[in-house]
Amino acid sequence: MIHPLLPNQLQKTQETMRMAAEFILRPISRKYDKAEHEPPLEMEQLNQAAAAQKKQTGVTDDSVKSMDLGGRNLWAVISLEQMCWGDVGLFLARPGTGLGNAAIMAVGNAEQKTKWGKRWAAMAITEPGAGSDSKNISTSAVLDGDEWIIDGEKIYVTDGDRCDCVVVWATLNKNMGKTAIRSFLVEKGTPGFSVARLEKKLGIRASDTATLIFDNCRIPRENLLGGKEEIETDANAAKKSFGGAMQTFDNTRPMVAGMAIGLGQAALDMTRALLAEEGYEDNFGASIHQQTAVQRELEMLEAELEAARLLVYKSAWMMDNKIPNSKEASMGKAKAGRIGNKISLKCVEICSIQGFSEDHLLEKFSRDSKILDIFEGTQQIQQLIVARQVLGKSSRDLK
Amino acid sequence: MQDYKTEFPFDITLSEEQQITWDMLRKFAETELRPQARKTEAEGMPSQELLKKIKSLDLIPLIIPEEYGGMGLKQDSVSSALALEALAYGDLSLAMSISIPLLTAQIIAEHGSEEQKGKLLPEFVAGSIFQVGLGINNALISTDSYQSSVTAKELGEEIILDGSKAGVAFANDAKSFLISASNESGECGLYFVNKDQEGLELEEKEFMGLKGTPFSQINFSNCKISCSQKLGGHNYSINYQSLLDSSRIGMSALALGVCQAVLDYVVPYTNERVAFDEPISNRQSVAFLIADMAIETEALRLMVYKSAALKDLDEDFHKQASLTYRFATHHGMKIGTDGVQLLGGHGYTHEHPVELWYRNLRAIGIFEGGAGV
Repeated sequence: MIHPLLPNQLQKTQETMRMAAEFILRPISRKYDKAEHEPPLEMEQLNQAAAAQKKQTGVTDDSVKSMDLGGRNLWAVISLEQMCWGDVGLFLARPGTGLGNAAIMAVGNAEQKTKWGKRWAAMAITEPGAGSDSKNISTSAVLDGDEWIIDGEKIYVTDGDRCDCVVVWATLNKNMGKTAIRSFLVEKGTPGFSVARLEKKLGIRASDTATLIFDNCRIPRENLLGGKEEIETDANAAKKSFGGAMQTFDNTRPMVAGMAIGLGQAALDMTRALLAEEGYEDNFGASIHQQTAVQRELEMLEAELEAARLLVYKSAWMMDNKIPNSKEASMGKAKAGRIGNKISLKCVEICSIQGFSEDHLLEKFSRDSKILDIFEGTQQIQQLIVARQVLGKSSRDLK
Repeated sequence: MQDYKTEFPFDITLSEEQQITWDMLRKFAETELRPQARKTEAEGMPSQELLKKIKSLDLIPLIIPEEYGGMGLKQDSVSSALALEALAYGDLSLAMSISIPLLTAQIIAEHGSEEQKGKLLPEFVAGSIFQVGLGINNALISTDSYQSSVTAKELGEEIILDGSKAGVAFANDAKSFLISASNESGECGLYFVNKDQEGLELEEKEFMGLKGTPFSQINFSNCKISCSQKLGGHNYSINYQSLLDSSRIGMSALALGVCQAVLDYVVPYTNERVAFDEPISNRQSVAFLIADMAIETEALRLMVYKSAALKDLDEDFHKQASLTYRFATHHGMKIGTDGVQLLGGHGYTHEHPVELWYRNLRAIGIFEGGAGV
């Protein structure tokens, strides 16, 4: 049945998470934006609220019933959306789960999922010389007896300083390209693994972004996620192997896109609240002759946001129903990242000097939003993925 | 935050029935409507033969209650939107030659008085689908969308109409018109006016697009009608905003069908067209335009579905319909213009349908009251 609407139970989740965002995150938003690199201790409260909500709705990790409640992924997307309505940076700084956890769940074997599933795992892919072309990484993993030796440098690792462990992408043989790329779990405190520095950033300052160094870092053989040590030589199998790793992104893109939706809504809501103090009212559906320029602008931005939201919900719903969603995940991420950024910048403009001022959070939203158009695949990478699928092209034809 | 109630899970799967109708109408659009688009445009209206085929789809009798000779199937809004999208994939003008009378019949079936329904609905079933011309579009540029550019002055038993309505389809075939007019207290209602009524004058008009549908302007000058000619009877009051919002979802669904047609046309074209020794779609500047086209078309589809689903739940759908229509207007035109751009000079000529779609898509956001859900 075509019913792109949220059932009552998920609406309740929205409300609860919105309250948590409003009363736990918003009051400390500015504080941690200013105090970059200071771990926000209040975030433990948010985790408790989320856990209680999850229990109440009956969505748990073990009982994934896709067709009722819209499933676990849609639940996660709308929860993230609401928390990021509060504050994206603080949400990212929430202790407990990082992008590495998604990788463990996507490519780890049963044993690895049990062992590390509940740890706080960051994800280390990007290197100084390889960003969007993640198959070009240089960090190496060499088997030596019962241990892997990891060597290399990783940058822009979200949660890289505060996490318990890191999922590190490394190559078994750089000459063999993407076929040889594997992900490894490295525990904090492992000799040879160190945090070299923390970035100072345009936005999401509450979240730590680290540079990690692996220098002759030895980890147990069983820390290879998925456990596949041999390198595929058959072209098809090779493609599938890297595809498996990339699949992590099909799962995480709807989440990051959901974050952009939450931020966009926050900017629109705050703009309306500020304008209302000066007598503004919406005028949805009126002709252009009956609308002010601001009414018209806000209506269009709201329409774009709602459209992006539905794309993102759809991509999560597909995941819940085991429908391949690579194209849709990229569609949602491209649109949500783009529009979240556009909205937040427009809202600063609409609210004029108050928008630009640190008295309000609009200027912060406009700084935070830019990263959502970049990480987890830039807008342009998403367009590339969508275009290749729509046009039926390989990455060799459409570069 | 949401403000509707539903127990059903989030879902975007067509029901079996919807799928069957969709397949049938989409095939009809591709095999019957699309090949006739240019000819229909050149002749200014569909051929009698094609009209016969369109009528044989039985879309109108389907929704007319059994007591008036119809099949009495209550069509949900989502299914209506799907049907409109499927038909517009063939040609927007031709889709509107069925969606406009369908909307007219829907309005009469839902709001008409017993007498009005008894007189008109059996005629629709019998095939006189253009007997009532629908006058919703305003002739003045800046009239409030939820008001009319025709005024209705009520004087006892008499109502005096003044002003003009534009874009009334198939006016030559009409015996009467159902037009919107605003009264002195600011309420907008619908009124039946006979074609031979004194003070009514018709003027044929041509537009840049939708050329396959004949359109006329109706001018009223001190046109006196009886208060019983109000839709639903003298004291009946219609929720005009809701009627227009519903039609805006319908127009958005039509826009969606055309956008999908553009996308499906530019993909093979840019894959085959070679420049600088390779298909032009190997270039990001071309491929990214197409990626965005695919993204916005899919987004529009979900917007249309959601608005229709909200209406089916009997929830307030005004905001959602407004957003959807704004989205369809903006991105419909963007997709129309990108469609021509991607074909370059070839796209500018009648050799390809993209210039036709470009002109037709400009109607979205301007033509109201052209399709209902």
